[in-house]
Amino acid sequence: MTDRIDFDQVREVIRIARESGVADLEVETPTLKVRVRRGTAGASGDQAPVGAAHVAPAPLASAATPKTPAASEDHLVPIIAPMVGTFYRAASPDAAPFIKEGDDVDEGQVVCIIEAMKLFNEIQAETRGRVARVLVENASPVEYGQPLFLLDTAARG
Amino acid sequence: MFRKVLVANRGEIAIRVIRACHELGIRTVAVYSEADRSSLHVKMADEAFCIGPAASANSYLNIPNIMSTAELLGVDAIHPGYGFLAENPRFAEIVTDHKIAFIGPPARAIEAMGDKSAARTLMQKAGVSVVPGSHGAVAGEREALEVARVTGYPLIIKAAAGGGGRGMRVVHTPHDLAAALQTARQESEAAFGDGQVYIEKYIGEPRHIEVQILADRYNTVLHLGARDCSIQRRHQKLLEESPPPRLRERTLIALARAAVRAAQAVGYVNAGTVEFLVDAQENFYFMEMNTRIQVEHPVTEAVTGLDLVKEQIRIAAGERLPISQRDVEFRGHAIECRINAEDPRHDFRPSAGLISRFQPPGGPGVRVDTHCFSGYTIPPYYDSLIAKVIAWGRDRDEAITRMHRALAEVEIAGIRTTIPFHLKVLDNAFFRRGEVYTNFVQRRIDPDQL
Repeated sequence: MTDRIDFDQVREVIRIARESGVADLEVETPTLKVRVRRGTAGASGDQAPVGAAHVAPAPLASAATPKTPAASEDHLVPIIAPMVGTFYRAASPDAAPFIKEGDDVDEGQVVCIIEAMKLFNEIQAETRGRVARVLVENASPVEYGQPLFLLDTAARG
Repeated sequence: MFRKVLVANRGEIAIRVIRACHELGIRTVAVYSEADRSSLHVKMADEAFCIGPAASANSYLNIPNIMSTAELLGVDAIHPGYGFLAENPRFAEIVTDHKIAFIGPPARAIEAMGDKSAARTLMQKAGVSVVPGSHGAVAGEREALEVARVTGYPLIIKAAAGGGGRGMRVVHTPHDLAAALQTARQESEAAFGDGQVYIEKYIGEPRHIEVQILADRYNTVLHLGARDCSIQRRHQKLLEESPPPRLRERTLIALARAAVRAAQAVGYVNAGTVEFLVDAQENFYFMEMNTRIQVEHPVTEAVTGLDLVKEQIRIAAGERLPISQRDVEFRGHAIECRINAEDPRHDFRPSAGLISRFQPPGGPGVRVDTHCFSGYTIPPYYDSLIAKVIAWGRDRDEAITRMHRALAEVEIAGIRTTIPFHLKVLDNAFFRRGEVYTNFVQRRIDPDQL
């Protein structure tokens, strides 16, 4: 066992929380304690959003008001690749990227394209937020489940 | 020869294929589900790519994600292992359409053998004996009586849609036929929503004996001897050996010839296995052909000295078989025990979880194929095979003694395994005399004494 945080475990806990729909999930192992709390629909920004993970024993982050740029990583949610393929940030080589860092993204908005089996699959954001980071280079191969972007879900009201 | 091979499988067989590739100087790509992220095949391969979530329907069976990985990483061949996509003719076809070599038989051979009733007809045409019976479903009592004249008694009525014993009746005399037909139909209708039944000659206490085939693209078909896989539980093989004990040389030769004819009849290329039922008088009947490498292939490797997986790769790369039938020599006796994460004391229920300590056996004549290690967690999503122990000896007695010695050395803590069951079989007097048949486990092994 190493002392490093096992992000796979964290990711798994987030996934379970999301899929099961529970509001608050806490998982403790000898090396790790993770707590995931879901925001309810229509709630203001003072709740931890879907997928916010706390690596224990940190207490829940206090409210981030809509206009405050979130400094804490607590509000960062990855957009993950739902399939294996080639990641493209724009619809064509000379078009502008769908999203770039600092952009506001709405739920259901197309954020990139993954080419698989000669088909171009538009990938949509599952939650609204502000693009905090682009994690993958344009035209790179991506695995299933690979994080593509980080969205700051607390950065918007 | 290929430069890079994608292994579309997991567990011990993925490792087996990776080892063969590395010996041939071929780079390897492992694919894995999220549940297998920290598994050994991922570590051993030169490259690894996650292709889906834990459920195999969305990962190891996910053809689009596997093909995308193959294209993105530029592989020139795919080895399917066994299970998952190994006997899916559509997958073999898609791989070939992508100008990637499929390390296995041509799609049409998989398809021909996959349709069990069409395969039966095909084998009859090729002069390979099949279990006598009706051609498809029997319409009524009169037809059943006609079929019975060919099969003789006892015969068995089976549900066309079924399995698991439902809609199944063994009939010993013509007087019982009409009533048995009716109950089998009713049972079948109730269980499967389909009252169609067919009739076969009933073979009491058959042995399951199979012949390993290796064929190249240039019409050379070799047989690599037979394996006895009669020690089964619910049609799952648990222990296999080669050569089959107490089988006449004459029968072995006839089996091998029939298997070669079966392979030739479907234009077979690559490694395959022709399975037969053998009765007490050593009459044998074609059961099916497995169009892939099998779990128990190391038994044949042990007695022939050949590396079947390397041969598979060479054949797929278009090479000729380096040997002829005359060059195939059989030495000694080999046994394989499948170590499953199951509790034999509780009806073989699955026993997934953390293996806190894993100490495999060693020594002369012992081989272990496994993907397990101390600290490995067996995920609950896949099959329960965790290791294969193969023991070779100059004769069957030495192989049995070695296997016993090897299994006693194994230490696996944290989960239950089938080892106590295997030790019981190895000690059984009937087994030691080579008296085996497919219901050996029910008849000879008392679950309360495990």
